[in-house]
Amino acid sequence: MSGLGIDGVAVEDTFAEAFGMRATRLIITAANPGWARHAATAATGFATSVIACGCEAGIETILSPRETPDGRPGVSILLFAMSSKDLQKQLERRAGQCVLTCPTTAAYGGIAEDLAQDWLGLGRSLRYFGDGFQISKLIGGKRFWRIPVMDGEFVCDEKVGLVKGIGGGNFLILAKDQQAALAAAERAVAAMHKVQNIILPFPGGVVRSGSKVGSKYKALLASTNDAYCPTLVGLTRSSLPAGVGAVLEIVIDGLDAESIRLAMHEGIHAACARGSERGVVAITAGNYGGKLGPHHFHLKDALA
Amino acid sequence: MKPLTLRLKTKPPCLVDAAGLRPRALAGKAREDILRTALQGWNESFAVGDLFAVTGEDAGRIVLEGLDGSLIRVGAGLEDGELTVSGDAGHYAGEGMRGGTLVVRGQAGDYLGAEMRGGMVTVSGDAGAFVGSGRAGAMRGMTGGCIVVRGSAGDRAGDRMRRGLLLVEGSTGSYCAARMLAGTIVALGHVGREPGYLMRRGTIVLADARFEPLPTFNDNGRHDLLAIRLLLESLAQHGPAFRRLAKQRQFQRWLGDLGAEGKGEILVASG
Repeated sequence: MSGLGIDGVAVEDTFAEAFGMRATRLIITAANPGWARHAATAATGFATSVIACGCEAGIETILSPRETPDGRPGVSILLFAMSSKDLQKQLERRAGQCVLTCPTTAAYGGIAEDLAQDWLGLGRSLRYFGDGFQISKLIGGKRFWRIPVMDGEFVCDEKVGLVKGIGGGNFLILAKDQQAALAAAERAVAAMHKVQNIILPFPGGVVRSGSKVGSKYKALLASTNDAYCPTLVGLTRSSLPAGVGAVLEIVIDGLDAESIRLAMHEGIHAACARGSERGVVAITAGNYGGKLGPHHFHLKDALA
Repeated sequence: MKPLTLRLKTKPPCLVDAAGLRPRALAGKAREDILRTALQGWNESFAVGDLFAVTGEDAGRIVLEGLDGSLIRVGAGLEDGELTVSGDAGHYAGEGMRGGTLVVRGQAGDYLGAEMRGGMVTVSGDAGAFVGSGRAGAMRGMTGGCIVVRGSAGDRAGDRMRRGLLLVEGSTGSYCAARMLAGTIVALGHVGREPGYLMRRGTIVLADARFEPLPTFNDNGRHDLLAIRLLLESLAQHGPAFRRLAKQRQFQRWLGDLGAEGKGEILVASG
């Protein structure tokens, strides 16, 4: 493994290959932070990978009452899908089943009007739950929907902005064992959560089942990344340097390339901090030779 | 550049239509052309130069001074720019406005902002009847924009209103929001008889608890509604009285008019 290094950890001179996606931000507020979090967690559940979940979603940040449209505690979530149509479907389903249903919540678009490249319906679709009793209200030039529910009214924006985002930024942490890999990944995730405009869609922000494209089984689009599986060393063409006993990956979806680059910078530095003494061996990234995804995040740039 | 200022020097013998004195209508005109601009009266027309002393150059900001109610339709059809009126703006001021700002430093007559579609109207004094309504026979009143009356409004404010915002700081006459289709009216002072008569949808917020609901309105109980909070907080820019109202949490809510579609609401501040 050639290239750079931080605190004795080798950083491979390679790049993460990422893809264009359609993205939106939803701001969920509630009577207290706990209920906003419940709704956000539910709405971003089962959204780790577009391969089988329909979208990738996660909590971007926790918002104080001063940062939300209605002055209540809130959570900002980001949703990514491969097309506007897919994103519309996922937004409707997730807001309808996970936010509208959650006590005291309200939902607002989080993409500024001047940045929105298109619009997705929110209240425009959810209002029908009101069965004719729904009320629209134009407030400050924006249309809101008030849908009667059993604890009062569910209030939401009629539409939310859509932007072109990027999915699939990533890096892999190669460590001497599972414990060391996990600790490094946790440090990275904690550091990356401070970056705005990005989410880490996998559980806890970490993936253990990195995948390669295709499979020996025709029905599968992706299968285990055998080159990075320590239990397959000696059986397949392994990419693991000597002494690596576990690998964990962090996948990043972002609203723009700069935010992904910043998140990778923060994450790699946190993972590598005193890395050699903590059992971190190397950092690398996943790509497909640069031929599939238009966005390339070079690790050497992320380290700068 | 100084605003284009027209000071009324000769009181016309009849009502005169002043809708032509709009920024877009006068933009790019030479002073001589402005002075020659005809304003239609009852049976005769008047040149601007015969009625007004004209100073200033910036037609994007027009000031009409010394008005006494003899001009009607001041700012009617306003598309953009600013039109400021000192004195009595007369009837139909801001009728059919589409954009821009109309500021009346004084009184306004009947049909202020009737059938307006956009823009902002502010009246420092009182306004007559039918604020934000439609003309006789029209199916809809205002369909957009915002009217703020710092004084009181006459009867039938918001009659057949379809969309937009009407704010009244003083008292409001009888039949406020009669036949209202949708939109929002906020009245800080006392409201007259039978507000919301035959309203179908829309919201009336009343700060004064002295309110007699029509028998065709049902008591919906006291509520703290997030949408109303958002609405009232968005009005804070309109002055301290509206900021005080925005602090109210509990509203007594009445639903009606059940003689019409019944999806309207009257919210009365109650702590």
